[in-house]
Amino acid sequence: MIRCGIVGHGFLGKRLAKHLTNYKMRGLALTVLASSRGYLHSPTGFDSDGLPADITAHPRFKASSPIEVIERGLVDLLVVLTPTNVYSGEPGLTYIREALKSGIDVVTADKGPLVVAFRELTSLAGSMGVFLCYEATVGGGIPVFSLARHSLRGDRILSIRGILNGTTNYILSRMHFEGLPLDLALQEAQMMGLAERDPSLDLEGIDSACKVVILANALLGADRRLEDVKVKGITQVTSDAILAAKELGMTIKLVGSIEGGRLSVAPRLVRLNHPLCVHGSLNAIQFKMEILGDLTLIGRGAGESTVSALLSDIEWILAQKEASREGR
Amino acid sequence: MRIRLTLGLPDRPGTLLKALEKIAMNGGNIISIVHNREQLTGGYVPVSLSVEFPSREHFERARAGIEESGIPVLGTESLERRIETVIIIGSLSVDRLEKVFEGRGEIISLAFGGGSRSPHMRVMFSVSSEDRETVLEALEELAEKNNCVLVREEA
Ligand SMILES: NC(=O)c1ccc[n+]([C@@H]2O[C@H](COP(=O)([O-])OP(=O)(O)OC[C@H]3O[C@@H](n4cnc5c(N)ncnc54)[C@H](OP(=O)(O)O)[C@@H]3O)[C@@H](O)[C@H]2O)c1
Repeated sequence: MIRCGIVGHGFLGKRLAKHLTNYKMRGLALTVLASSRGYLHSPTGFDSDGLPADITAHPRFKASSPIEVIERGLVDLLVVLTPTNVYSGEPGLTYIREALKSGIDVVTADKGPLVVAFRELTSLAGSMGVFLCYEATVGGGIPVFSLARHSLRGDRILSIRGILNGTTNYILSRMHFEGLPLDLALQEAQMMGLAERDPSLDLEGIDSACKVVILANALLGADRRLEDVKVKGITQVTSDAILAAKELGMTIKLVGSIEGGRLSVAPRLVRLNHPLCVHGSLNAIQFKMEILGDLTLIGRGAGESTVSALLSDIEWILAQKEASREGR
Repeated sequence: MRIRLTLGLPDRPGTLLKALEKIAMNGGNIISIVHNREQLTGGYVPVSLSVEFPSREHFERARAGIEESGIPVLGTESLERRIETVIIIGSLSVDRLEKVFEGRGEIISLAFGGGSRSPHMRVMFSVSSEDRETVLEALEELAEKNNCVLVREEA
């Protein structure tokens, strides 16, 4: 039985936990739920009806650092769903680093650690012979990395660009269709739970830039950091400017791109019939391939759909373990 | 790509044919030929050719071939024009904007909007394929210097 733990019992953590209670038949038990204040351990694995909404209120809740989960060897697979800090990578970075060092496979949706220490973490995973999977970090549930690594492996990626942030895309769409000013569209997004209380990382293009960094490092063999991306956000975009674009059959979108070694995020004019021109909180990612040509993926870049990417990573790890067991 | 080539043709029969051969061998399709006989200088007649080549590589091979056969290439100029649109958000003087295009492009139309509180201008211009990136970069630099945002078109 593979013992799986979730650190970060928030929006994604709670939703993923529900799915993982059904995995016992598949040889995976959810045995640990952790938050900043401590963890709850169930050696036989949680069942769906035994999942606590608030782990800290549970009588067996252990108030201590979640690092203990790793040190005590309570799990074989750790899913890291901690809040993102794109400058320090913490707290996710320490959890991931320690887990990998201890020979624990890791799945994460937290961009921070990968933006700060991509090469360090992937080489560490490589040298320890464990998996580090991060499908959920870019494009939410859209299968970006698995598609590129599996289905596109015979071809060569020439460039990647995309609409990588649902919050700003929602705001720009409302400005385009309703002529709303940016601040009003932002308030609306916040009310709908699409934007954080502090939306500056989204509006200033930093969140998109993080995704550009992860894409470049993971799929184009680069070793880049946030400061290598030329970033311009949407704070200065006006609904009148969008109207001026609209008159020409275009709109303004926040586009992240990796082209000829150049990483950038900037508001761009996009034709309304361009495949990247998706509206609302949708994300779109376009690969330019040497043989295939253009390939565009469109989907929900955040929210519950992200669980699909987390499960895909977990399934992949399970399949690899199964294959290596059978190989022996 | 369409290119204007100016050759210095030695005033001997048969030399133009040699040049045309090199162009044809590299997929070039000749659109027009202009002889400037009255401009004969030092035994050379300048000849201006407009040619459509399948690619830059084809053009470069043709040019090398022509030069190897002893015909000097006096000048080349891309006739390819592209129409580009950008929106500059913020306020920027038109004079400064026009300077960017001096000698390497032409403003086709300028539209202002947003009033004085949140001004922008939409600039449509034509530029040769070669100068496109330079012009866009110069516009970006100008926008940044003036605390404006340049929104360029995603190809
Ligand atoms: N939600 C999405 O749609 C989405 C999509 C893609 C990627 N992501 C990324 O996935 C991660 C999780 O997202 P989320 O929406 O689930 O966030 P969330 O609801 O804020 O959950 C994060 C959880 O982490 C816990 N936490 C905070 N500090 C911790 C620490 N030091 N150690 C352990 N746990 C800690 C928090 O609980 P306490 O503070 O009570 O400990 C909280 O429950 C983020 O990095 C996010 O950027 C989210």
